[in-house]
Amino acid sequence: MNALRFLCLLLVLTAASGLRGQFGGLDLGKVVDTAKNVGKVAKGVAGIGPEEERVIGGSVAVEIAGTYGGLVRDEKIMRRVNLIGRTLAGFSDRPGLTWRFGVLASNSVNAFSAPSGYVFITRGLYQMAADDDALAAVLAHEIAHITARHALKIVARGDFLAGASSIAASQSGNVRNLEAQLQQFDLGVKQITETLFTKGFDPQTEYEADRIGRDLAAVTGYSRDGLRLMLQRLQSQSTADSKQVFSTHPPLAERIKRLQ
Amino acid sequence: MKIPLLVAIAAFLAAPVYAGFAPGGTAYTKRLETALLAEPAPLAQTLARIGYAHKLKVEEVRGAWLRVSEGKTAGWVFAGNLAEQKPSENKGLDGLPVAASETSAAAAARPLAPAAIDYAGRRGLAQARSDVEWMEHTSDAIKNDQVQAFRQAQKKGEFQ
Repeated sequence: MNALRFLCLLLVLTAASGLRGQFGGLDLGKVVDTAKNVGKVAKGVAGIGPEEERVIGGSVAVEIAGTYGGLVRDEKIMRRVNLIGRTLAGFSDRPGLTWRFGVLASNSVNAFSAPSGYVFITRGLYQMAADDDALAAVLAHEIAHITARHALKIVARGDFLAGASSIAASQSGNVRNLEAQLQQFDLGVKQITETLFTKGFDPQTEYEADRIGRDLAAVTGYSRDGLRLMLQRLQSQSTADSKQVFSTHPPLAERIKRLQ
Repeated sequence: MKIPLLVAIAAFLAAPVYAGFAPGGTAYTKRLETALLAEPAPLAQTLARIGYAHKLKVEEVRGAWLRVSEGKTAGWVFAGNLAEQKPSENKGLDGLPVAASETSAAAAARPLAPAAIDYAGRRGLAQARSDVEWMEHTSDAIKNDQVQAFRQAQKKGEFQ
């Protein structure tokens, strides 16, 4: 999907705070005018502002929770992951985001993040993280995906500058058109979730998150080797079911090698 | 053997916590305000406050602390409070600098965006929405002073 179209849709959605199912109370003329302005400022991922990121992040977070069995509603576990997570995030390159950490009710071994500060770790991975250093290493890796805006870059790719005026002109201001735009927005979220759940980020993106996360853990006071040791542990415990272990990430051996 | 051991310990303490910062290099502030302290200690006197995305010169590295300067102003900052690269000043769709706006009061904990709630409705993800809202509520219930107390007790961040 054209990235500029996606940004225009985001602005429509963020501007339309009164929009609820039946599109009641929406001033389409105002939204169209605002959408026209989007084309003037949208330049790559930097054009996605905090409000737009919040809409994308919330939608992706809902998809993650829906796909991986919901949240483990254990306040003690939540307290631990949030204290460690926010300790790390406070020294990340985006300390001002609203950071939230949760454990997914899934026995697979994986972790996910959504733009604007949502970090998820599966119960399977949480149980394998024997100590705070291991847990911090996993959380720091996911924090790095958010601070480096990796998911947002998925929707910012493509023929970004093309068709700004035609996109704005296409917003004829009727409800049918808005429904079509909502479908386009949903497709944009789908692009992100397909990457998270199925395809995975490209290897270089994962290696970058490994490096940023390792440095973040180290400067915060957790073990610099936490992620490498955690990956080695996962590697040694991998079985025939190993496809369930970080299945959306590059091979463990290569990640371990690069962290040495 | 005592002298080499002391030298090794001194070298360890003087070494940067990670390779990013070195004397003579640069660092950038990444918060709306960054305090420059009189000593490399979290409770030391504040000498000055520097705004967002300022370029600083690294004068000295002592463990996880950096002595930095901007013109005639100098002081100590915990390395985790600085960035190696200049924070983004690109403007978002709201016209505000993307990163700077995150550091403002506008970034206070907020619930799931209305458009995300609509998205959950369209996708039939009511239970997942409930889960995310519970996650937000439970996370937000942990206040910043509790996180700060945790850092202090666990000797993390500036309390290392």
